Amino acid sequence: MTDVKKTIVVTGIGIVSPYGVGMKNLESGLLAGKNCLHLARDVYPGFVGSLAQVSELPHAVSKLGVRYSRTDLLAIAAAEDAVTGIDRQQSFFRESAVVIASTVGGLSEIDPGIMGDPSAWYRQGDGLARARSYSVARAAASVGEHFKIRGPNCGVSVACASGGTAIGLGANMLLDGLAPMVLAGGADGLCSFTMSGFSSLQSLDKDPCRPFDMNRKGLNLGEGAAVLVMETLAGAQARGAKVLAVLRGWAMGNDATHPTAPQKQGTGLAQCMSNAMKMAGVDVEEIGYVNAHGTGTPLNDIAEVNAYELTFRGRSSRVPVSSTKSYFGHCLASAGSIEAAISIAAIRSGSIVPTLRLKDPIESSMVDWVKDAVRHQPVNVAISVSVGFGGSNAAVLFGRADA
Amino acid sequence: MSSKLPIITGIGSVTSFGTLAGLISPSPIELAPITAWTTDGLRRAFLVKPFQPTSVVPGLKTRRLDRISIWTLVASTLALQDAGVDLNQMDRSRVAVVFATGFGCIESTEAFYQSAYKNGWAGTDPITFPETLANSPAGHVALLHDLRGPNITVSSKNFAGESALLQAASLLRHGQADLAIVIAGDALTRTAFEWYETAGLLSLACSSEVPLSETSGFVPSEGMVAMVLEPEGREHAKLYARVRGGRWGATDEPLARVRETLQGIAPSLIICGGDGGPCSTSSPISLVKEFPEENTAVIPAQAIALGLADSGALFHLALALSMQPSSGVALTLATSDNGGFATVVLDLP
Repeated sequence: MTDVKKTIVVTGIGIVSPYGVGMKNLESGLLAGKNCLHLARDVYPGFVGSLAQVSELPHAVSKLGVRYSRTDLLAIAAAEDAVTGIDRQQSFFRESAVVIASTVGGLSEIDPGIMGDPSAWYRQGDGLARARSYSVARAAASVGEHFKIRGPNCGVSVACASGGTAIGLGANMLLDGLAPMVLAGGADGLCSFTMSGFSSLQSLDKDPCRPFDMNRKGLNLGEGAAVLVMETLAGAQARGAKVLAVLRGWAMGNDATHPTAPQKQGTGLAQCMSNAMKMAGVDVEEIGYVNAHGTGTPLNDIAEVNAYELTFRGRSSRVPVSSTKSYFGHCLASAGSIEAAISIAAIRSGSIVPTLRLKDPIESSMVDWVKDAVRHQPVNVAISVSVGFGGSNAAVLFGRADA
Repeated sequence: MSSKLPIITGIGSVTSFGTLAGLISPSPIELAPITAWTTDGLRRAFLVKPFQPTSVVPGLKTRRLDRISIWTLVASTLALQDAGVDLNQMDRSRVAVVFATGFGCIESTEAFYQSAYKNGWAGTDPITFPETLANSPAGHVALLHDLRGPNITVSSKNFAGESALLQAASLLRHGQADLAIVIAGDALTRTAFEWYETAGLLSLACSSEVPLSETSGFVPSEGMVAMVLEPEGREHAKLYARVRGGRWGATDEPLARVRETLQGIAPSLIICGGDGGPCSTSSPISLVKEFPEENTAVIPAQAIALGLADSGALFHLALALSMQPSSGVALTLATSDNGGFATVVLDLP
């Protein structure tokens, strides 16, 4: 019997991606196989590689000493999209929690000139406001301020596992009764700092990335935001909200093996996926789709495949897996939340989008690589996995709204 | 879900008071002159004195680490030592790390910007970049102790420490971890100090020999406090406090929300915490006055912990516990402008 007070459901999804604002744009772009990746040097002269950019967003603005960074604006735009149709005067909305992940935050607002003379840099124009957007909590605070929401506000920064982690922490807050509704997700804007960082690590593929391909060369950076509206089933029923999906399980973990590289054998990620399935009470046979982290870096992808081998060992058929980073790059802290939204879309539409440019996949006995064409088949349960620097892993598992 | 309340069994700290396991011996602390960068005359703050991390964590290599990474490693180790936890007896995939910070790895971020300032964006340092990520300290703690449970870095404007403590307790309550190390703190760097200074927020005591007691204004601080949180029941475990619950957010009626959190219990002690940071006009004391109960003791906010702004909650709590409060129900209370509040309800043994 379903415990409506402990069942966490998704009742809204807001997206800002290189396809534009909204799930419709994202889904139609993915289903059409539209590649958003283009040469980085078109946007950031001097950088090699490819990237995907959101083009519809206004530039950062300062208002009464507060500057909203590109990341903040992405988060606000996604949250606006997510809460469409919700009466913002109702107490359940005003008391909502906001859990927004970001790794870039306000770095887009600060340039290296700050290191010459910080005081002089702050005195230039809105330097103080620019620097203030740097704090880790800023993206979450921006969303809270934008809606004048008064519930718990929490920024999350767990590298590229941030988006999935934010969803898990938001779910915990609902179980704890800290808020009647949670806006949870992630946002990250492109900026020179991260372009330079990943470039210095030689992690970038100059061409559009090829996740899970034997000839993969690295990742491409992207940007965007996704925010899920989550509440208990009891709360959703009380206000007559349409349930889009059930968040059946979530888990966070750590490899504890290396500051940047994932554990080769994939045991940390496998444990994380198993924990999420255990919470959901879901057997490996029931997983209909895995939205992979799938960055396209040599180290990540092999570790991830090893994790799938461990997790799905004994399953009667191979598990369908694809990486949607092949369409719009790695959106860092927002990746996990965007991919959670894509996982929900797969459940709702029965359409699994393929990994682009996957010609020669890593050999695996447990993975059914979805490639070349959209696969149409019922998906009752989907899991989205995320992996990040610092050894971080996160997994979120969704089920059908009517199950 | 576990019905037992999570308890605080270990404390470790790296602050101006030194590098300590357990309670912090109360002693007067002077502001220290800033020498880490060239200042325009005397500049002072509450600073962590240089120490040898290998005295706590033998063999620790620190050359490439941000100071807050070093401090999280040292403070977490001290907290585990104080708690008497034998990690070899635990399933390390069930041990969580929850880290709270306002600025993250600001020192490494400055170093990365510095390399871009000198060499251009094409000449930045690849080793520094991963250390700029805010979750890097928590990742290093996991690596040092082989902790494979949830590893989370959070920040909440004004209330990062409270948020981390409550979310760690939540992980235990929901069976997502068997033990959690909660860590909160920040480092003071040139860009941060000069931001406060340019914004005109600093106390006169930061730029003169005027005693802190004779001035008002904000004095930046730095440091790291770690606490071990676990379910009650381990044999010979220390008990600093039980975490009953709490919340943070904003409200027009903070007193009502705090009382709601107390669930009818009259606190015997109120521990004042953050006031919303250097820009704030808020004070938890104004809220404390709304509690008419007799015999409710009040520990005022400590300037040295207030200097940590967003991440000072664990420092406030550690200082309050070090004052050996009598048993009963304690309430931590922090406020910020626009009705922001955070409260944690604790049972003191």
